[in-house]
Amino acid sequence: MFGMRASGAAASWVVGRMGTDAHLYDDPEDAAIPALLDSRFDGDKVDALKRLLALIAQGVDLGCWAAQVVKNVAAQSLEVKKLVYLYLLHYAETRQNEALLSINIFQKDLSDINPLVRAWALRTMAGIRLHVVAPLVLVAVKKCARDPSPYVRKCAAYALCKLYDLLPEENTTLEEIVDVLLGDSSFGVVGAAAVAFKSVCPNCLALIAKHFQRLCETLPDIEEWYQITLIEILLRYVIAKHGLVKDSVMFASGLSLETQAGRDSVPVSNISSTQAETIVKGGSGTMPNIMLFRHYIEEYSGAFDRDEDKFSFPSVTSSTNDDVVILLKCTSPLLWSQNSAVILAAASVHWIMAPAEEVKRIVGPILFTLRSSPDATYVMLGNILVFAKTAPLLFSSYFEDFFICASDPYQTRALKLEILTTIATESSIPAILEEFQDYIKDPNRRFVADTVAAIALCALKLPSITSSCLEGLLALVLYELSITNSVHLNEEDAVLVQAILSIKEIVKIDAASHEKVIIRLVRCLDTIMEPAARSLIIWIFGEYSSTGNLIPKIAPVVLKYLAWSFAAEVLETKLQILNASVKVIIHSAEDQLEEFKRTVAYVIQLAACDMNYDVRDRARFLSGLLPCCANENDSSCRSQNVDVIKELADHIFGGKIPPPSNSDSNYRIYLPGSLSQVVLHAAPGYAPLPKPQSMILIHKTVEPTRGVADSSEGTNSDAESGSSRDESGSVYDSESEAGSDSNDEGHNLHRQKENQEAPLIHMYDGNVDQAYAGRAVDENLASLISTDLTELMSKSALESWLDEAPAAPLVPVQTSCARVSFTTRSFERKPKLHRLLDPSDSGGLSVLYAFSSEVSVKSRLLVCVDLFVENVTTEQLADITIKSEEASGSKSGMDQTSEGSASIPTLVPVEEIQSLAPEQRAKMLLQVHFHHHLLPLKLSVFCNGKRHPAKLHPDIAYFVRPLPMDLNAFLCKENQLRGMFEYARRCTFKDHLQKHEQTEESTDDNTDKNLLVAQTLASKVLSNANVHLVSMDMPVTFSIDDASGLCWRFSSEILSTSNPCLITIVADGHTSEPLDLTVKVNSEDTAFGLNLLNRIVAIIE
Amino acid sequence: MLQCVFLLSDSGEVMVEKQMTAHRVDRAICGWFWEYVLAHAAGDPSKVVVSPTHYLFRVYRSGVTFLACTQVEMPPLMAIEFLSRVADVLTDYLGDINEDTIKDNFVIVYQILDEMMDNGFPLTTEPNILKELVAQPNMVSKMLNVMTGKSSTIGSKLPDATASFVPWRTTIVKDASNEVYVNIVEELDACVNREGVLVKCEACGEIEVNSSLPGLPELTLSFANPTIINDVRFHPCVRFRPWESNQILSFVPPDGQFKLMSYRVKKLKTTPIYVKPQLSSDSGNCRVHVMVGIRNDPGKPIDSIIVQFQLPPLIASADLTANHGTVDILADQTCVWTIGHIPKDKAPSLSGNLRLEEGLAHLHAFPIFQVKFRIMGAALSGLQIDKLDVKNTPSAPYKGFRAQTQAGRYEVRS
Repeated sequence: MFGMRASGAAASWVVGRMGTDAHLYDDPEDAAIPALLDSRFDGDKVDALKRLLALIAQGVDLGCWAAQVVKNVAAQSLEVKKLVYLYLLHYAETRQNEALLSINIFQKDLSDINPLVRAWALRTMAGIRLHVVAPLVLVAVKKCARDPSPYVRKCAAYALCKLYDLLPEENTTLEEIVDVLLGDSSFGVVGAAAVAFKSVCPNCLALIAKHFQRLCETLPDIEEWYQITLIEILLRYVIAKHGLVKDSVMFASGLSLETQAGRDSVPVSNISSTQAETIVKGGSGTMPNIMLFRHYIEEYSGAFDRDEDKFSFPSVTSSTNDDVVILLKCTSPLLWSQNSAVILAAASVHWIMAPAEEVKRIVGPILFTLRSSPDATYVMLGNILVFAKTAPLLFSSYFEDFFICASDPYQTRALKLEILTTIATESSIPAILEEFQDYIKDPNRRFVADTVAAIALCALKLPSITSSCLEGLLALVLYELSITNSVHLNEEDAVLVQAILSIKEIVKIDAASHEKVIIRLVRCLDTIMEPAARSLIIWIFGEYSSTGNLIPKIAPVVLKYLAWSFAAEVLETKLQILNASVKVIIHSAEDQLEEFKRTVAYVIQLAACDMNYDVRDRARFLSGLLPCCANENDSSCRSQNVDVIKELADHIFGGKIPPPSNSDSNYRIYLPGSLSQVVLHAAPGYAPLPKPQSMILIHKTVEPTRGVADSSEGTNSDAESGSSRDESGSVYDSESEAGSDSNDEGHNLHRQKENQEAPLIHMYDGNVDQAYAGRAVDENLASLISTDLTELMSKSALESWLDEAPAAPLVPVQTSCARVSFTTRSFERKPKLHRLLDPSDSGGLSVLYAFSSEVSVKSRLLVCVDLFVENVTTEQLADITIKSEEASGSKSGMDQTSEGSASIPTLVPVEEIQSLAPEQRAKMLLQVHFHHHLLPLKLSVFCNGKRHPAKLHPDIAYFVRPLPMDLNAFLCKENQLRGMFEYARRCTFKDHLQKHEQTEESTDDNTDKNLLVAQTLASKVLSNANVHLVSMDMPVTFSIDDASGLCWRFSSEILSTSNPCLITIVADGHTSEPLDLTVKVNSEDTAFGLNLLNRIVAIIE
Repeated sequence: MLQCVFLLSDSGEVMVEKQMTAHRVDRAICGWFWEYVLAHAAGDPSKVVVSPTHYLFRVYRSGVTFLACTQVEMPPLMAIEFLSRVADVLTDYLGDINEDTIKDNFVIVYQILDEMMDNGFPLTTEPNILKELVAQPNMVSKMLNVMTGKSSTIGSKLPDATASFVPWRTTIVKDASNEVYVNIVEELDACVNREGVLVKCEACGEIEVNSSLPGLPELTLSFANPTIINDVRFHPCVRFRPWESNQILSFVPPDGQFKLMSYRVKKLKTTPIYVKPQLSSDSGNCRVHVMVGIRNDPGKPIDSIIVQFQLPPLIASADLTANHGTVDILADQTCVWTIGHIPKDKAPSLSGNLRLEEGLAHLHAFPIFQVKFRIMGAALSGLQIDKLDVKNTPSAPYKGFRAQTQAGRYEVRS
């Protein structure tokens, strides 16, 4: 019977697998794939391609099949075509030459009568991302954007996104196509156009204007994925055009701040009248205001310091604005979507734009998703937490939805607990506390500890329940004691400690009225084993030893008990006993003092002989502080300085506990529904909302002020001589591995101005160093070479290269390379100037800045920035200084400069410029700690007593410092950082073309063009990034202007982590044309590496 | 923008790797992810994971982990919803998904993924269009494959629905049997606290429609008591206006089975059955007594009753017996008491003794009892369908209605 069932199951399994592609996945290589690929039958080809697909799925690299696969793209069978496309999309990036072969077929397919074939061709052609064919793709996209089939038009919109990566300079053309597609009649196309808009031109919100109404109206009809994107675009548009809505929650959050900032002493309840404010403020007695738009809108973050005398309030529109009304109206049915992402997107529009009384409608739908989309729960709760912290009243009647189920994972439970404590009110707290009591018996003890902490938070928030909470917690402590003493359980200790911690927090508010609780806790000391718990109780005893009526009476007994148990305690408890006993002495009444002194002296003596040096240390310190206790006989010394010492002791031990710091002020909030909000840091590409009513300005603000930068160039640089680039640093020495005889020739040929740091050229055989030098070499060409490579290394070959033999035969010899080593300093650095402050905005004070390659002496986290201050008015300017606006920085920044990232100030204080005469210029060195390498830092420039806001944009290329290393070390390091740690991008380099034109006029033909290119690029990188040039490899070639194989290596280390960051650039192409460069960054810190890579590419282009 | 989608098996093996953009993601990330999962095996790891190189989104369905990577800002819920949609579509295509079906049909999986996403953004996710683009494997195509060695899964022409204003509906429905079934499926969530008080009781329902109608039918569904509904979510085919104004569902249905709407009715007063656990412990023993009975007869038989709970930690041995049904203690310390339906003559009860581990006198953590049951023919929320109108069909179709309630998150704390 059993056997029958088993065989039955096996049979059904076999039947299930029959006719599927199972055998291909299991054993893809059991047939001759090449033969099948070349077969005349489509069936065989399909079979072979499926096998290849199986190998791709299993992670085998199949790049070598590219040529054979690609030729099948011409097949008539759609299945073959599709499979070839799948292969192509996977490998095109690495097998560009082969992929190029398919272009003609794509061109042909684009005019096929079957729209599916056209769509596939367009998708694949744009998807393989070859720079060479990008212009062709652009033509194809233009054509397909007018295709009769909506599906093809939709694919054209997708192709725009891909094309934008390849041809960012064509953005105006791309924008035009986006515009056309946004006006399309088909919903699907409009949606896809929204996606294209977001990747091609997210800031051209003006483009939306003419489509706005229609886009809003189609919103409910388009597909769910496009709804998410389109909602975001429309929200940004409305904010940029009309500004914030006057009675929205977001606006109210700023308004209540204004009232606070303006009149600190006036109770807020007197001022707040609008409903929006009551929602925000209501029920949050202890909750600090969260300034939503400080977080959501980049422009305003940091703009509201309290010392601000006047601040510009964001532009405001009323809730009856037509555009606002239509947007809200069209997004509200989306709250019923089956897609939780759409619900959250629609909810965030209401959250930000809707009048406060209408925000309520988002609550039901987003809470429903917690139940109906279990996968979305975690993300949803994270967003609800932010909503709840800002507007607790909104959720307060829905507390039941946050009750915890047995099936909830731990993270969900923790979030729900936090939300429950946030939204608890006087009316809901009985039910919530009852739930908490149930949770305490939950099998998950970590969650129990969290619950205990939540109880304390609720008790602090709602004073009416304080005493019952305390009773409950005390009962819990006693109960836990009974368990933990019988069986030792790690997790139970955590609950016990948390319970005592919670009691401590509650008692802190009003210790005198809770003295019985303290006494009962102290009584437990006898039974509690857990050191952390004991230490906590001892601390409580010490702190409140003189509070109330009863505690001072038991203090002597307790102190004696502690002295008695001292020897048996662990380190942390011993230290607490010492502290507590000193506190007792300080606070004690006269009549008990002598008794205490004896006990404490005994404790200190014990401590002085302790095994642990920390305890001995503390004992020594205390005996110095309390000479009376340490040494009773020595009464002579307690004469004059006893008062001072007493004062000191009072200060150290009797100091009032500072109120809990507002952790919420550092709590970062990102836009609802964003990835950044979930991971709690700004993810790359995160964009806050645009500045309200900023739409007209949007196109102008981006332009850098180039002209000004040029004019002031002469002012700042001694290092920057006016000489042109080809005069300096082009002198080099050459040396051959074969012998030193070619050395002289090299000298003779290129006799120019002598440079003290003469660089060297090393010749080496490409084959030997294939591992790293040959990577750039085109393998196809290399395989053609039959000449003996040693021959290439001969003197004549070298000479002919140096000579630039005019009629060199076209034998490709890229396998030989010359390595040119320049030191970094042999290039002039020309740092780019950015404008910090425009004279027109600031009453004639012009401030420019450039990142400096200097390394700060204060901390490795600080980036040095050179500031060039100039007075362009005709009057004297006085008291120019610069301060950071970051809230945390301004407080701690003045007095702390010690190491450690937490204590690093945002801005090291700079010396003030007392006065600046007209036309006078001054230079300042700013040391800045950027908190994030993408977000600008807010600064205030003070001048003549006025404050001018300014923004310092970070440059990731200066978040590194040069890391000198030699080539071998570089290659060794690079080998360690492969795979995940390696990123590459392609770009084109054109700068040398202008140089060519200059040099052709000015100098003779002897200048080597490759060298020129190498220098131009190296100097460009070095002037824009703080890196060290390790080496420059130049190909030895007979063809004059073939630059393929040119290779630069730069090394650097990241300021914050000291992780090395290696940059390799390899060129391909001819010097007379734009060069194709491949830039590669190897770094352990991959997010940083990727950002740096993008920056380097931007620099080069 | 998703850069890559991986399908991982239960052992962490990468079964399918589909690169979505030019920024290729090395599959080494899956190794990192699996280490992370193993490290967080106890608590369910989060849906959004920050790895050293990428942000990862994760959806888990019956043994298969769907993993997506990105490096840039994007709505995380979009990624999660997309992955669940992929899982749903694959389930629909392959019957059910597990390691074997994914591997056996890897070509179809690739083709579907390619149609569903382009350049990291969802392209075609509508099941009805997908089915025309990539044919569903069925018995006929499998046999054809075995006999002749060839069968194409790729559709040769663009589905007309891509240009339609009702993209969820195939334009030409063949072999329509002219019938439509409406099925209300409700799940009852309830929470009884340690005092035996019903803290929360609500019904989460779905209205499933199976339509097989010719042409372009217009359906209108109305409820007798729509006001009891608290929250709703709709299939894209439902028009918002009629619901906003009159609480009427007006829609053009897709062909076949689909979920028309889901809803929630809160604050129900009673549960159909009661479960009363009693645990008392002293001197190293814990006596367990659980009683189950009918509290509020729904008028239809209650069957498939199961009560299960996790044995508390630190139990040395458990001895549990029931006067009705079977009791099993599984390897993961779950005790499952399968009752079936409640007999008329006696009240089922489970009783027994748990021996605590040495040194422990009392139980400190108490189990939570999870209850399962099923009631055919009744919707406990009380939601009633008033009528269903079908227009635009050549002849009057057959209409069928059903209702069913089962326990959802039904918990009784002890």
